Amino acid sequence: MRIRLMAAIAAAKITHYLSKTMGGRGSSLPGLIALRVFPGTLEALVRQVPCTVLVTGTNGKTTTNNMLAGVLESSGLRVIVNREGANLITGVTAAFVRAAGIGGRLKHDAALLEVDEAAFPRVAELVKPKVVIVTNFFRDQLDRYGELDKTVSFIKTTLQKIPAVRLVLNADDPLVAQLADVGRPFIFYGLGNRIRGEEVQTPTREARFCPLCGEEFIYAYYHYSQLGAFRCPGCGFARPPADVEAHTVIAKKHITHCGIRVKDSITQVTLPTSGFYNVYNALAVMGAGLWLGVEPDRVSASLMTYVPAVGRLQRFVYKGRPVYLNLVKNPAGFNESLNLICSSEPKDVMIALNDNHADGRDISWIWDVDFETLERQKQILSYICSGKRAEEMALRLKYAGVPIGRIEVHPNIKSGVRRVLEGMGSVVYLLATYTALWPVDKVLRRHAMEVADADRLSSLPRPS
Amino acid sequence: MLTVCHLYPGLLNLYGDRGNIIAFERRCRWRGIPVKVEEVNLGEVIDFARTDFLFLGGGSDREQELITADLRTRCTDLAGAIEDGLVVLAICGGYQLLGHYYRTLDGTEIPGLGILDFYTQAGDKRLIGNIAVEMEFDGRRIQTCGFENHSGQTFLGDIKPLGKVLKGYGNNGRDGFEGARHKNVFCSYLHGPLLPKNSHLTDYLLKLALERRSHKLFIERLDDSFEESARRVMLRRMGLK
Repeated sequence: MRIRLMAAIAAAKITHYLSKTMGGRGSSLPGLIALRVFPGTLEALVRQVPCTVLVTGTNGKTTTNNMLAGVLESSGLRVIVNREGANLITGVTAAFVRAAGIGGRLKHDAALLEVDEAAFPRVAELVKPKVVIVTNFFRDQLDRYGELDKTVSFIKTTLQKIPAVRLVLNADDPLVAQLADVGRPFIFYGLGNRIRGEEVQTPTREARFCPLCGEEFIYAYYHYSQLGAFRCPGCGFARPPADVEAHTVIAKKHITHCGIRVKDSITQVTLPTSGFYNVYNALAVMGAGLWLGVEPDRVSASLMTYVPAVGRLQRFVYKGRPVYLNLVKNPAGFNESLNLICSSEPKDVMIALNDNHADGRDISWIWDVDFETLERQKQILSYICSGKRAEEMALRLKYAGVPIGRIEVHPNIKSGVRRVLEGMGSVVYLLATYTALWPVDKVLRRHAMEVADADRLSSLPRPS
Repeated sequence: MLTVCHLYPGLLNLYGDRGNIIAFERRCRWRGIPVKVEEVNLGEVIDFARTDFLFLGGGSDREQELITADLRTRCTDLAGAIEDGLVVLAICGGYQLLGHYYRTLDGTEIPGLGILDFYTQAGDKRLIGNIAVEMEFDGRRIQTCGFENHSGQTFLGDIKPLGKVLKGYGNNGRDGFEGARHKNVFCSYLHGPLLPKNSHLTDYLLKLALERRSHKLFIERLDDSFEESARRVMLRRMGLK
């Protein structure tokens, strides 16, 4: 078996090298090759790592996983991470292969893996995780998954099959909170109270109805899509009390301060990023820290130095103006991005929409995004629509009521990026779906400078 | 004033289908035709006689059962309004429930409303992908396109199909037909959503709704260059046009 494992690793490493030289990212293909050469590759490698954590759910997987990696690395642990968002079984295998020596040995302390919801059952049964974090369930790429209910029920059945797994669950999402009844130890995290000033109500809520009895939920308030204080008048299923809970959230430009209660003590956390959803990601990491024996203060110190991954509100500078790149992949996440671009400064926006397999071939979901909020945003000077479905994006904006004179179609990503950078506004936002993200990032790097984390940190208060 | 009724928006809103409502409403407004959209949820009152355009979308299985039960109580009214020329667009799950029944893989027949003559049989494989359909209305043949995603296969009885499949699966992947049409009821498996890109169809529905109220029969043309190019991109990709 060792020979076959070594052959698989060698083949995968060669693939990785070749694909890098040819300009690819080499994030999944080596895994595919390794599994072809020796189907037991992942099992043989994962067995050597004492602790595996899986992060699944619709939004926030990459950020949560990367934040957690930062926390464990700063505690001196050696971790394996599938960083690039390569979150199917091939991407997970590739991460292990990359970490392994040519002899197939691993000396790592932990593996932190973000796993696609649909791939979760297969990956989880193979790697038998010690901890599973479930972030949220929104509608995402349904043409691959069938409907959301099915995805959630597959995850539920899988969790019942893994012995000794401990869960970290989002208390504010009824679809996630219901997983607590699989009979495994769990920690709940959530936002404490009506933290978000305005009444947020979008028509794209997934979980209007109780997954247990079918009655319509009553909400005391929402935070974000269906996340909030839900209660079912039928069976009494309600937002459970959280062990890790944010009580104050102060969002400033580029940073977010929050006060988080962990069991009975309060920890202050400063995240070097904006975006309300990042608070959820930080809470999930704090929760996982409890299972992994990492003190909240340690988590907090590490989160301060968090650097966003590609396309997670990444910052660049072009001719002295800030430029932001953000991944958009489903209505809930896109609506959050729209909140960002509705800020008051004059700006230019590019939206790159692809319909490759990894983006979801069905792009109907853009009609569930509340672009209608843009109708009155006079400070958005131009909308550059790009990618394989640029024309459809332009059509969506037209029907949202955006003046058509501000909409331009540049299917070619290179010309789209160039055009938006030359806009007249004082800020540039680029929103891209999954497979458009790297091409946009690549072109952007040729023109603009990424803001390095050293610069970012100097603008933060020093930890006391 | 045209009244658009979005039935069960909280339940039947899979795959961006509310884009159909957005398209119908905007195209009225751009022409200065007064329009209002009413959202009707489970148990709420609907006056089909006052409705000009009724939209039924698709939902997940569980949601589908809830609404079929609710609609059954309104079935006679709905069937009457349909015979009277009510303009209806029913997509996917909304399409299936107007027929006789949905037969699951284990043979159970979930009764539909039985207003239109067709039935649906669960298939073992989901029919997923881009689809192009040739439809004919007002004596013109139009190539429409969208995205289909259904496991149910629908077989028509004594009712006309909405169009012929040019690329993709359509009703059942076998007989080459897509959707169903009876009076002013248009049933289809096309998500995408259907109406924004296929503006000929939207305008045709709008015209039928106006005619039923004996309003003006002429509707002004709009600049449809965005609609046309979004449609053309997909037709071209499917090797048409």
